[in-house]
Amino acid sequence: MAPIADPDEDLVRRVGQGDPAAIQAMVARKLPRMLALAQRMLGDPVEAEDVAQEAMLRAWRQAPRWTPGKAKFDTWLHRVALNLCYDRLRRRREVPTDAPPDRPDPGPAPDRGLLAAETGFRVDAALARLPDRQREAIVLCHYQELTNIEAAALMEVSVEALESLLSRGRRALRIALADLRPGTEGA
Amino acid sequence: MMTAERFLALVAAWGADVRRWPAGERAAAEAFAAARPDVARPALLEADAVDALLHASRVAAPSASLRDRVMASAVEAGLHVRRGGRRWLDRFGLALGAGWAAAACAGVAAGVMLGAHLTADVEADAILYQASLLGVDDTEVLG
Repeated sequence: MAPIADPDEDLVRRVGQGDPAAIQAMVARKLPRMLALAQRMLGDPVEAEDVAQEAMLRAWRQAPRWTPGKAKFDTWLHRVALNLCYDRLRRRREVPTDAPPDRPDPGPAPDRGLLAAETGFRVDAALARLPDRQREAIVLCHYQELTNIEAAALMEVSVEALESLLSRGRRALRIALADLRPGTEGA
Repeated sequence: MMTAERFLALVAAWGADVRRWPAGERAAAEAFAAARPDVARPALLEADAVDALLHASRVAAPSASLRDRVMASAVEAGLHVRRGGRRWLDRFGLALGAGWAAAACAGVAAGVMLGAHLTADVEADAILYQASLLGVDDTEVLG
């Protein structure tokens, strides 16, 4: 099998060598991605920060012994963060709670920003209500922009099954958000 | 050859943005859309509306506090941070062109260089300090 080309290969090597600039670059490159993944999977900003921090900690531990060519570092890091998210989702199911997770106050949103914030809030709420696997498929493919093969491998499903999850998730969102007209959510 | 059924399934899963379609089917799907607008257009319009909704979702950027904790955790994880900060600090000092700043940077760089065996705390501080200096130009770090 041909080695997998990894755009992070050089950066991971330098992180493993303890290069401070590489450590900073890795944080700049991966922390926002891991935080976004966790926020959308968990819908809770505090838990999302914990997951992102733990995923990055594991990245630091992995970097010195990372073997290039076998997998993309970004895909591996997604696997780590997703596992951490699922641990927390499982825990939530075991300890039912009446209160939904706190959402950050979007702050003042003048003009059309108010509408955008409201639309975003509705979309996030609809995403949160999707079945976990449908939400995961949409988060990985739409927001994290992984390829179909990468996302299917991460979810341990076939590409066909991934497409089915995506279709059902998107259909559910369309129905849940039918009253929102596209084009009103602002940039 | 792309069938209407497959095209509709593709758009239902991946949305209206061609760039998101699986690479192996993208060309065939685009050709189908051009050849059969009667089938493709309604599906693309509907998918585009869902795409627009998905784009409305916003997530918070990492806070400075989270970034600092994550950078400091590199040392906690056992990474032996190289004492290679001088190059960065020197470049920063030159870029500033201000004597006092250069002197301050050199002082800190010297402090970082002095210890042959830095403690974990000091190593973490070095990362954070460099981050605070280099934060003005992430594109340089990212290449």
